[in-house]
Amino acid sequence: MGILFSLFLKLSAFSLIAFGGINALLPSLLELSVYQERWIDLQTFADYFAIAQAAPGPNFMTVTLIGWHVGGVLGALLATFAIAWPSSILVYFVQRLILSMNDEQKKKAIQYAAAALAIGLVLSSAWQIALQINRSYAAYGLTLLTIGLTVFTRWHPLYLIALGAALGTMGLI
Amino acid sequence: MVGSKTSAPPIPALTLLKTLTPTELFITFSKIGMSGFGGVLPWARRTLVEQDKVLSSEEFSAILGICQIVPGPNILNLAVCIGSRLCGAKGAFAAALGLTLGPICIVMLLAVLYQHYSNLESVQGLLRGISAVGVGLIASTGIKMLRDEFQYPAMLLVVALTVTAASYFHLGLGWVVLLVSPLALLLAFKKARK
Repeated sequence: MGILFSLFLKLSAFSLIAFGGINALLPSLLELSVYQERWIDLQTFADYFAIAQAAPGPNFMTVTLIGWHVGGVLGALLATFAIAWPSSILVYFVQRLILSMNDEQKKKAIQYAAAALAIGLVLSSAWQIALQINRSYAAYGLTLLTIGLTVFTRWHPLYLIALGAALGTMGLI
Repeated sequence: MVGSKTSAPPIPALTLLKTLTPTELFITFSKIGMSGFGGVLPWARRTLVEQDKVLSSEEFSAILGICQIVPGPNILNLAVCIGSRLCGAKGAFAAALGLTLGPICIVMLLAVLYQHYSNLESVQGLLRGISAVGVGLIASTGIKMLRDEFQYPAMLLVVALTVTAASYFHLGLGWVVLLVSPLALLLAFKKARK
């Protein structure tokens, strides 16, 4: 039970610092699960990240998969619950607090501050994850191509994922 | 009601276009969770605002704004907020459960397949390709949000400081947030006063 308990505690704590959502949390999640706790190796983390990206559903499924790896179905449920409960309770009360706030300026200021912080965290996350996961120049090229296509065109992300899958299967990445 | 006091701060009622029971919330959010390829948020807007007409577009944006300032999975925060606004704690629970149950089953199924086939070279290549795209998708989320910040360039300082603290000095997420938020709040109040 020790490892499941530790999984539950650590992920519950992560839930409360995950400003900018799960995307911003990924480097910390990698650091914890690969280097500190050694729940999984780097390759498996990268593969789980890919599976969560390709599957339908919220992006925190990476967390669910790490839980699965540690403790099967119970681990998966426990990990998902751990990443979810603290922030859910927090947002339940913060919503009441903010909606009852009459000061429009204050409300706006809090949102601006959170947005700027989230942007910084998400960008650093992408950078740190790229350094860990991309193994070849071709992989970096594909990452850059994805950024270019999403920023300058209206391509649906699913097409890009399919493109990555196709190039990868051909052994090009 | 004059002079009466309530213990909890009152919440302004949503101008509901429809009322939903917890069961209906569960079903609606199940649909959202299962259709969310490449990000669930756009699907949430499409389902709740355009198809099921549960809330107006402005209300959706306002609620999303709140969900993004709180840590944790944004989409789950959204489910909790909307669920609780429509039918209290029960609604929050139903929406969150609906959002997660289906996708959890799918990824566990995929995990079993992965266990069996991860030694195949083509599967390894496939996943490498997808993860390279996945990193790009995350980066472009950040870049798209960054474009809005150019309206008040001082905020870019916050972004730069965050990136430096996290990527160059490798500070943990909690420390970065503690370090950067005073400056972020200071500049944000100036921006809001503009």
